[in-house]
Amino acid sequence: MAEPDVLVAPSTIEYPFRRTTGPVIGAFLTALREGFLVGIKSSDGKVIVPPVEYDPYTADALTEIVEVGDAGEVTAWSWVAEPLDGQPLDRPFAFALIKLDGADTAMLHVVDTGGDPAAIATGMRVRARWKPPRPVGASEEDDATGAHRVGSILDIECFVPEGEN
Amino acid sequence: MGKERVAVVGIGQTKHQATYDGSIATLVREAAERALDDARMGWSDIDAVVIGKAPDFFEGVMMPELYLADALGATGKPMFRVHTAGSVGGSTAIVAQDLIAAGIHERVLTVAFEKQSESEAMWALSLPIPFQPPMHAGAGGYFAPHVRAYIRRSGAPDHIGILVALKDRLNALKNPYAHLHEHGITFESVKDSIMLWDPIRYSETCPSSDGACAMVLTNEKGGDEAAAQGRPPAWVLGTAFRSEPTMFAGRDQVNPRGGQDCARDVYAQAGITDPRRDIDVAEIYVPFSWFEPMWLENLHFAAEGEGWKLVEAGVTQMDGDLPVNCSGGVLSSNPIGASGMLRFAEAAMQVRGQCGEHQIDGVRKALGHAYGGGSQFFAMWVVGTEKP
Repeated sequence: MAEPDVLVAPSTIEYPFRRTTGPVIGAFLTALREGFLVGIKSSDGKVIVPPVEYDPYTADALTEIVEVGDAGEVTAWSWVAEPLDGQPLDRPFAFALIKLDGADTAMLHVVDTGGDPAAIATGMRVRARWKPPRPVGASEEDDATGAHRVGSILDIECFVPEGEN
Repeated sequence: MGKERVAVVGIGQTKHQATYDGSIATLVREAAERALDDARMGWSDIDAVVIGKAPDFFEGVMMPELYLADALGATGKPMFRVHTAGSVGGSTAIVAQDLIAAGIHERVLTVAFEKQSESEAMWALSLPIPFQPPMHAGAGGYFAPHVRAYIRRSGAPDHIGILVALKDRLNALKNPYAHLHEHGITFESVKDSIMLWDPIRYSETCPSSDGACAMVLTNEKGGDEAAAQGRPPAWVLGTAFRSEPTMFAGRDQVNPRGGQDCARDVYAQAGITDPRRDIDVAEIYVPFSWFEPMWLENLHFAAEGEGWKLVEAGVTQMDGDLPVNCSGGVLSSNPIGASGMLRFAEAAMQVRGQCGEHQIDGVRKALGHAYGGGSQFFAMWVVGTEKP
């Protein structure tokens, strides 16, 4: 019996969404656009970054937004020797959990050590390298280039060892 | 039914609207807090959370229950997600009631939602599929031929759909939570609205809504306590699901077997022998006006081909002997995932006397109904003032 002719068709799904962020996540994104970082104080006084809308233990609505530093300590990391398309950096880097100054939780971001895997370590200090501010009158197309801050976690290009920027 | 009796002791919903200006977490939270307040409970009183919504693709948040655990106080508790397309709000409530009926939990919070403003749900299910012709029919285009088939079979006159739309939109004016409040609506304005998918006119279709609904269900002890405190519960008298494939030879999409069987099952559990006589009020999932007469037949309120006559005679009006969708129904508010739970909740609210201006006097038994997919998933419950 002849081999069946098995057809294969591409299936690309594209669909637009828009997210209403609300006053808590919205505050975090707005702060990023302005070039600083915020967290939120939980019921036990701990500062959670990025902020969450409801307390993880008591389920209370949280409202006390607090500014935290844009530098902190690496608490865990994983080296990416060969970055894939779409990852934040196109050169070797580390995904890292970073506990920012004033925060009680660690946030995931990337650390650029200039490609040197020996230059990252748990406990090391890192600082945010920000994209430039959003130009006055920037269009949506300008925003889409990724060249300046827009209110996204990628407004921080990466973290670098403290003292390097 | 399990051995534990189940009571609805708390009900909450959001104001349904085109765009809810907050996060998905805030939306579900608002409904859940109202249900807890109504039940005089706090987060720590709840043993488990059961959440439902229609396809994740509608908001583009995959498995949103993961991110909603904090908002719903589910930390350290079991949390379950239910999905059965448009019927999911009903199925979700039934899963929650099963956990109590089975004696597993005493107090369960159940929540359902949709936030249609995050995208375009109408077209989200019309994505191209390999080797299938792209139709871009949308839900209306899918259902319109079946409505047309109903009209041909039953000989129903054209104005029946208009009457249903007008009734539901006028009822919605009595429901502060309804999305559409069309004060100027008339028979003529519905009739003159654009024909989208013949015979379905624009004003005979449901809106796209953001909204959530929540209920607190308890065992018999919780129901008795609420009653003793002057807050009579709605007792669950019967629940049923049915499913059927999208396609099979001989399938009747006008009067699906799944819906007929589901209704017989839930009536048998609730001791209902004549639904037209025994059910005081019904909340039926009617996203396009013609589905009211179609489901009246599917739910055995009318003989086959006779449903439209009940509509024409005003039987389903608020002052008729079988009021249907006093809340304004899906035609006035459609946060899809929540729409089924709203039908179940509104039935329970009628039993508990909580409906305000759209309350029917003396309701003893009420039906909540939901359907989904291509008329292939059915969920129903009957609630009443007396224990089963």
